Amino acid sequence: MSGWTHVASSTPLSLARSFAFGLLQAAVLLAVAPLLRGVIKKMKAAFQTRQGPPLLQGYYDLAKLLRKEPVRSETASWVFVAGPRIYFATAVAATMLVPVLFAGAPLEQAGGILVLVGLLALGRFTLAIASLDTGSPFGGMGGSREMTVAALAEPALMLGLFTVALWAGSLNLGDLVRTTAQRGPSGHPSELLAAAALFIVLLAEAGRVPVDNPATHLELTMIHEAMVLEYAGPDLALVEWASALKELLFMTLLVNLFLPLGLAASAAPGAIAVSGALYAGKVFFLAVAVTLVESTNAKLRFFRVPELMALSLGLGFLALAIRFL
Amino acid sequence: MTAARDVLRGRLGLPELAELRPGEFAAEVKREQLPAVADQAAGAGLRLATLFATDDGPAKGCALHHLWAAREPPGFVRIWTRVPADSPRFPSIAAKYPVANWFEREVMDYFGLVPEGHPNTFRVALHDDWPDGFPALRKAFADEQKVPRVPGNNPHPFRPVLGEGVFQVPVGPVHAGIIEPGHFRFGVAGEPVLYLQLRLFYVHKGIEKRFEKLPWRHGLFLAESISGDTAVGHALAYAHAVERLTGVEVPRRARYLRTVLLELERLYNHVADIGAIATDVAFAVPASRAQVLREGLVAIQERLFGARLLRGTVALGGVKCELTLGRRNELLVHLDRLGREFDDLVKLLIDSGTFTDRVDGTGVLGTQAARDLGVVGIAARASGLDLDLRRDQPHDAYASLRFQVPVEEGGDVRARLMVRAREVEQSLSILRQALEGLPEGPSFTPLPDALPASSSALGWAEAWRGECLHWVQTDEEGRVARVKVTDPSFKNWPGLGRAVPGNILPDFPVINKSFNLSYSGNDR
Repeated sequence: MSGWTHVASSTPLSLARSFAFGLLQAAVLLAVAPLLRGVIKKMKAAFQTRQGPPLLQGYYDLAKLLRKEPVRSETASWVFVAGPRIYFATAVAATMLVPVLFAGAPLEQAGGILVLVGLLALGRFTLAIASLDTGSPFGGMGGSREMTVAALAEPALMLGLFTVALWAGSLNLGDLVRTTAQRGPSGHPSELLAAAALFIVLLAEAGRVPVDNPATHLELTMIHEAMVLEYAGPDLALVEWASALKELLFMTLLVNLFLPLGLAASAAPGAIAVSGALYAGKVFFLAVAVTLVESTNAKLRFFRVPELMALSLGLGFLALAIRFL
Repeated sequence: MTAARDVLRGRLGLPELAELRPGEFAAEVKREQLPAVADQAAGAGLRLATLFATDDGPAKGCALHHLWAAREPPGFVRIWTRVPADSPRFPSIAAKYPVANWFEREVMDYFGLVPEGHPNTFRVALHDDWPDGFPALRKAFADEQKVPRVPGNNPHPFRPVLGEGVFQVPVGPVHAGIIEPGHFRFGVAGEPVLYLQLRLFYVHKGIEKRFEKLPWRHGLFLAESISGDTAVGHALAYAHAVERLTGVEVPRRARYLRTVLLELERLYNHVADIGAIATDVAFAVPASRAQVLREGLVAIQERLFGARLLRGTVALGGVKCELTLGRRNELLVHLDRLGREFDDLVKLLIDSGTFTDRVDGTGVLGTQAARDLGVVGIAARASGLDLDLRRDQPHDAYASLRFQVPVEEGGDVRARLMVRAREVEQSLSILRQALEGLPEGPSFTPLPDALPASSSALGWAEAWRGECLHWVQTDEEGRVARVKVTDPSFKNWPGLGRAVPGNILPDFPVINKSFNLSYSGNDR
């Protein structure tokens, strides 16, 4: 069990250094997030005996979109412009609260689970409001669908996180990770149930089959894509990039909360390398799981999505209840 | 054959009924008699297959034709009446027989004849800016003339939206992906669809008018391009009409090869459609497997016949392609493998709970609604209507082949999927029989130099989507005076409009795909 014991508690950093560290972590995650989507696309393509787009296609797309001029509807107000920016900013801010390679998060003193969930909700809310701004029927339709799913995904996310928080006796994500890292994964049913609940939340938040279909061109069936259908150019790039970051963020939460194996205790290059390799492996494993789910399921009828989210919610409740047995 | 004529004459209560040729009957009635004869025909179990007008020149004026299909005894009965120039109107039967709805309005749009008593006399085919008084299919209308467009001349009335939280969602005419143009107007209360209004005819190409300007031999190429996915179906329907008109007997070998072509067309379309239904519910693995199967088919079609989508294979009087023994065996081997892989594909789909949950009970078109709207083909057979011209009025080699007509009762997306899956099985069996029993001999009969003057004939073919009908009429000099093209989509689009309300908006694409109707064939 040596892998679990060398994790030490984090030493408090100064605010400025914390912030710099946070920005660095966000930048690294922003840099690799499009790759994650590329990997999933490549694996999905393999399941379909297709070649699929290049692994780096996500970067080419972002580069293309950032070079374009933004096309905005004449009826769009500042809300429409602010939407993608706030969405992007909240996703980046949320990244700073989550431990990635280290047994602690850069800005963990700034807030824990509640701030994280709040930030994500704020981003989603802004984007949904912005989707109504142009008055296009698809935007409103997508916004309303996104909120329908979110209304159930958010409590499920909170329940799952609270279950882990109960083990640690803290709402701070750094504490959560350190506690699990110190005692190792317990294999307790409540932990497994919480992990399952959060996996379903991950599918919903990332807009994956069976909740949403990231590969469709059919406007009428879209959830997230319909909400952002009006965006073009750099606006769209921000939305896409932030969505990719969010997906990576949820995967990071899952692997680090339930399997915080080999997190670096110090900034020593060796430790970071070990931690980075393990992290990449764990996220890849999760990406394989997502690919499997996407390849073996049809998308649910929209009115069945709440049932899936209710399942996630139920798992979360159960996890919490079992914790007290 | 006169026995069949007498039976039909009696059923329709007509004093006279001419038998033009086997399976084709005609009678002229007085204008005011049309609704009564329609009642007789419908009462006797005949169905309205198409309805159209002709312009027979300034001396005779226009005429209106109802074409009824009888199953027993098999035959098409054309009831027609003169519409004199000084009274350009005809009695509508649309209120009683909804199948006539679009047909009569199309006659109104293109001939300027008024359907009296029609419950909805708004334009169906002409768009807003087409000026009044330019009936394009009348002989007096020169197709090269410049028509002065009048923006907003005749705004399309969309059904008003009333009630709290009820919205209209306009979709199209330009869609994402490779889809033809068509406008859909949904009335929705949240996600559930209250009604769906269709606005089509964005790709009207004046094909029927064009037929009148082309030498009749060239008409075949025009027929092939009416709807790209039904090249063989429409080419055969046109060829049948011309062959019946000239009395040419197509050699047996050609009839078998035509059957092979028509079934191959059915096969590649059905396989692609099943994949497309999976695509629309985001079930990507079976969708891509279906694409592989479809690609295998069109690739071998290109190798054997020189055209991926089988264009240029049908000739007037026979076929333009040959199949040597070696190539025949190659096709048989390919079809055997396809059959096995297709079974796996269907199993993969219907064994998946998430997939069947999406298609079961989705987009139901009831039997009565399908019958009233005159729905044909796959959509009809999925709604419990046992119709198939290959069996009911066999053309080409179908009379000498054994096959079943799959019928499903559900009327939902699953039923339309299963009709396709079972038809693939039947097609494979038909292909095996036709290829193994392919007779030797010529594959072509030369046609006479000219068409008979002042004559008309109907050609039909049960294409993959449903029946294609071509009615060809010649003038006093044997030139083509009128070709009425009836694509199955024209009768099935209203069926889609009926199947969607009551479902939720995100389910529309998969319902639409399960019908997979042609815009081009509908708009012509």
